[in-house]
Amino acid sequence: MNWLDRLRSPRSEASTSAPAIRDTLLRWQALPPPDLDRPHFDARYVVINTAATGLDLERDRVLAIGAIIIDAGMIDPRQSIYVPVDENPADTLVEVLHFCGKLPRVVFNAGFNRMALERLWAQWLKIEPEALWLDLFWLLPAVFRPELDGPTRLAQWMTIFGIDTFQRHHALGDAWAIAQLFIALQGHATRLGAATARALAELERTRRQFTTPA
Amino acid sequence: MLTTAPELLARAGSDFLKHFAPFDRIEAEALAFVAQRAALGFHARGRTLLNPDMGQPRHLYIIRHGTVQVLQHVAGELSHLTLGPGACFPLDALLAQSPAAHTYIAQEDSFIYQLSADDFGQLLRISPVFHLFCTRHIAKLLGQARQQLQDAFAQRAAEQQTMTTPVGELLKRTPAWVSPDTTTQAALDQMAKLGIDCIAVCHADLQPVGMLTYGELLSRREPAAFDLAQPVAQIMRPAPCTLPASALAYDAALEMARQGVRHLLVTDTAGRLAGVLSEHDLFELQRIGLRQVRAGIEHATDIETLQQAALEIRQLALSLIAQGIGAEQLTRFISALNDALTQRIITLALTRHDLAGLDFAWLAFGSEGRHEQTLSTDQDNGLIFVRPESDDKDTSKLRLLAFARDVNQDLAACGFPLCKGNVMASNPELCLTPQQWRHRFGSWISEPDPQALLNASIFFDFRVLYGNASLGDHLRAWLNKTAKNNAAFRRMMAINALQVAPPLGRLRDFVVDDDGTLDLKKTGARLFVDAARIFALHTGVEASGTAQRLRQSAEKMGIPQTEVAAIVDGFHFIQSLRLRAQNLNTEHDAPGDNTLRPDTLNDLDRGILKEAFRQARKLQSRLRLDYQL
Repeated sequence: MNWLDRLRSPRSEASTSAPAIRDTLLRWQALPPPDLDRPHFDARYVVINTAATGLDLERDRVLAIGAIIIDAGMIDPRQSIYVPVDENPADTLVEVLHFCGKLPRVVFNAGFNRMALERLWAQWLKIEPEALWLDLFWLLPAVFRPELDGPTRLAQWMTIFGIDTFQRHHALGDAWAIAQLFIALQGHATRLGAATARALAELERTRRQFTTPA
Repeated sequence: MLTTAPELLARAGSDFLKHFAPFDRIEAEALAFVAQRAALGFHARGRTLLNPDMGQPRHLYIIRHGTVQVLQHVAGELSHLTLGPGACFPLDALLAQSPAAHTYIAQEDSFIYQLSADDFGQLLRISPVFHLFCTRHIAKLLGQARQQLQDAFAQRAAEQQTMTTPVGELLKRTPAWVSPDTTTQAALDQMAKLGIDCIAVCHADLQPVGMLTYGELLSRREPAAFDLAQPVAQIMRPAPCTLPASALAYDAALEMARQGVRHLLVTDTAGRLAGVLSEHDLFELQRIGLRQVRAGIEHATDIETLQQAALEIRQLALSLIAQGIGAEQLTRFISALNDALTQRIITLALTRHDLAGLDFAWLAFGSEGRHEQTLSTDQDNGLIFVRPESDDKDTSKLRLLAFARDVNQDLAACGFPLCKGNVMASNPELCLTPQQWRHRFGSWISEPDPQALLNASIFFDFRVLYGNASLGDHLRAWLNKTAKNNAAFRRMMAINALQVAPPLGRLRDFVVDDDGTLDLKKTGARLFVDAARIFALHTGVEASGTAQRLRQSAEKMGIPQTEVAAIVDGFHFIQSLRLRAQNLNTEHDAPGDNTLRPDTLNDLDRGILKEAFRQARKLQSRLRLDYQL
């Protein structure tokens, strides 16, 4: 069953079949796949982050989503969104999807953020948008602290780089910190030879295998 | 209302920027403009952001986190300057629309904002404060003039700089204006009452629509035919020439020449009338140039004219400070003009005192001797003379002392207070023959007690201001030889110099007095001056200026020029802070003249001041090493 079939399915909720939403989804679907082999200085990424009531996927609820485009290694305040996730968030979720396009998605802790977002999209838009996800949880130590006992928390990385943000544990506040970490990572990863999204994905995969027991 | 993401991120940017000049005083809209449009990038350590080969820079950079090293090539010499958070660059290149003059390299991993050149241009237009900051302060901050400007060149530069004053600062009175429906008679009456020859015609919201000048009226073909009861709108010059307040005096002069007018209307950012600028205002600006002041001094025939000249020197110095000219050039200016003034006073005194046949020279000591006069200097002078063979009753000395008393009084009348320590030529102890001076210096060198060391610090910085220069040269040569051969004396001087440490704190940035101030002379400039004097005596350098002493002795001691350049920059920065603290209204040598509250500085200046004190510390460790202290 492809995603259009799902949209047509009689079980889908009213909001997903609203014409505006369907239109946006169709346009999103028609976007060309991202070029994963562009060097960072010429590529676009989207940093995406959620704020939730907690970190338990089963019990906790996403409250807000923040996202910032990284264009050629730069953070431009004008290319960002911040939306609350309310009781009936189909409109919001489609807006986020539209904003992210098919750009490689950068998160910190995919285990929660990616899963939470994919669940929301599946639940409310009935789709599973294909995309490349990059997780700084793995990539930062891979580039900056090759030894295995490095820092794990966002706050620790922020301290190391002297990064601050206007509000911690805020979907956009943390997204901004993550975006800064990501541009720093791009700068150093390029020197290590990981100059493209594909190379970063490969670096992340190796790191996971290396450090996660089989 | 929900705040949008771009607003939140822009606020994060402005919250950071507003701690640094000029964003700490920029208009709110201009700050928002920058924060909304500046994109944040990352530059890994060692990466070159800009260099002269990259062509015109396409962005203004503002450091958020990290440091950038600026490599400057001036006169074949390489020097460094480190920029920290809040610093903007390359303002000079962006303003001139030319390639960057220097190379900018990330010294550590740095997060740096960039604003496109177009947005930079827009910012200049919407923000008079930013415009002012760019045209005035950047030359000082980044330039850190390494060049030893020749006096002639500096003079020209000073005159040109005067013309870079924004016209907004030249306006003298609140703008006089009338509305278009005022009768011409009433407008003329008002002009006569105010004693002005040009009046602006504005709507009630101060938007100018025209102006009326006497010249305009008189040039009408049939003045008699005009009915003075007609509204002024009928006769005014419509579509008047206007200039924004941030335009430079240059622009105004150009515009007047181009339009063939004698008056311009100056408007604020909202296009409202801010004032009327006349050609005369521009002439007045140029009048107070170095050349004019100097000519004024040279042609003065009485003390009253010289008093006026002394005042003009201070005004000139203040306007140069305001324009951000470097401390080195500025102190040399002040010294050069004060020299001319003193020489003129001496020349005038010589018409009243017959010293014919006497071989003598007027000596300047202390800061004047070092060419480092600030606006706050009292007199430090003396005389050296050759006693004629026939003179057995000291009559020549008595004649010289009478003459010196006159000169000292005249200098005091021109604003140089009499020296409290009586270091003046009229003091018989300081009117000596070469043999006596050598004996005096020699006794300090052989028995360096605290008083002798203090004396050495004042008198060893002597220079001939008037008279037979070779008397001074011989004394200098003798002094250098004697001091060079007496390591014990230099060691005592070094111990003395090390008694004051730079006011750098371990925990806080600066060690300040109870009232939150620090003394830029005692714990700042002095540290450089004292060390330089010892180096000069050690290496036999004859220069009496601190910067020259440091440069020339470093060459002999094998210290890299880049290192010396950083030290000299430190000294000049402290000197420029001293100059900034002094102003026209304070007396010479007022107690507050050299004190500074570091917490009133912006972060960039604080950073530079800290670096300047570090350079002083470096200089002191060098002394410690040389003399094993």
